[in-house]
Amino acid sequence: MSDYKFDLNPKEPSDEQITRHKDFNKVLQNYQKMTRPLYKTPLYKNPKVFLWLFLILLVIYLVVEFGGESPETPPNKSDSMNAKIDTLKP
Amino acid sequence: MNEHHKSTHDLEIERSQVEAAKADPAKFNVLYEKYYKPIFVFIYRRTHDEDLTADLTANTFLKGMLSLKKFEWKGVPFSALLFRIALNEINLHFRKTNRQQVVSLDSTNLGAMIAEAGEKDSEDTRKLLMLALGKLNREELHFIELRFFEKRAFAEVGQILNMTENNAKVRTYRILEKLKTILIRAGGR
Repeated sequence: MSDYKFDLNPKEPSDEQITRHKDFNKVLQNYQKMTRPLYKTPLYKNPKVFLWLFLILLVIYLVVEFGGESPETPPNKSDSMNAKIDTLKP
Repeated sequence: MNEHHKSTHDLEIERSQVEAAKADPAKFNVLYEKYYKPIFVFIYRRTHDEDLTADLTANTFLKGMLSLKKFEWKGVPFSALLFRIALNEINLHFRKTNRQQVVSLDSTNLGAMIAEAGEKDSEDTRKLLMLALGKLNREELHFIELRFFEKRAFAEVGQILNMTENNAKVRTYRILEKLKTILIRAGGR
């Protein structure tokens, strides 16, 4: 099957049909939306940035809350000796 | 002079309109008003779907606005860039949807094309020519549509397809030769 459909002497759209779709303000709005710097867009209007920020904060929280704890260190030898001496004291 | 030709004075006016739009995007309105209809009709001829045409036209102007900052004036009408974007939008749409692309033909221009290929105009030749056109790839068909069915000068065909006027001429005649060969083979001569 050919990739094309040939149409002989087709009817062109009327001026009325064409102007019905004309809307420069919509194009301008889309343009402004696409070119607006990131810092000028409120967070709630930009779900992608919002999600990334949320994930970063979540990772930081998890690291601080659970990742920061080191395994229990064995008691210092000198400390235990001091404790023993203390117990021997009258 | 064909309908698409622009005088030096027209080009100078257009240059100032482009510069104004670069400084203030709201001033792109002048170019939008000027080229909305030609771009709409250009896309409609290749889609035959009013709503789809409206969407692709809006995308074309949006991309035109976005590329304005990088646009350098080289004495070529701004419309050439818009037509190029429109062609890309059409190609992208048909590649994505895998639908058959529409090619609008005009019987008068079909006759002119047969004459240019050095063939005798008849009902059979027209049918054969349409079959032969179906064997061209998308890019080759763009040359034929722009040159023979939209009656654009080679300079403009080159501007739209991003090549020199001479290259556009050479490519178009090569495609015509290819069509002629297909016609001869199909005609059993």
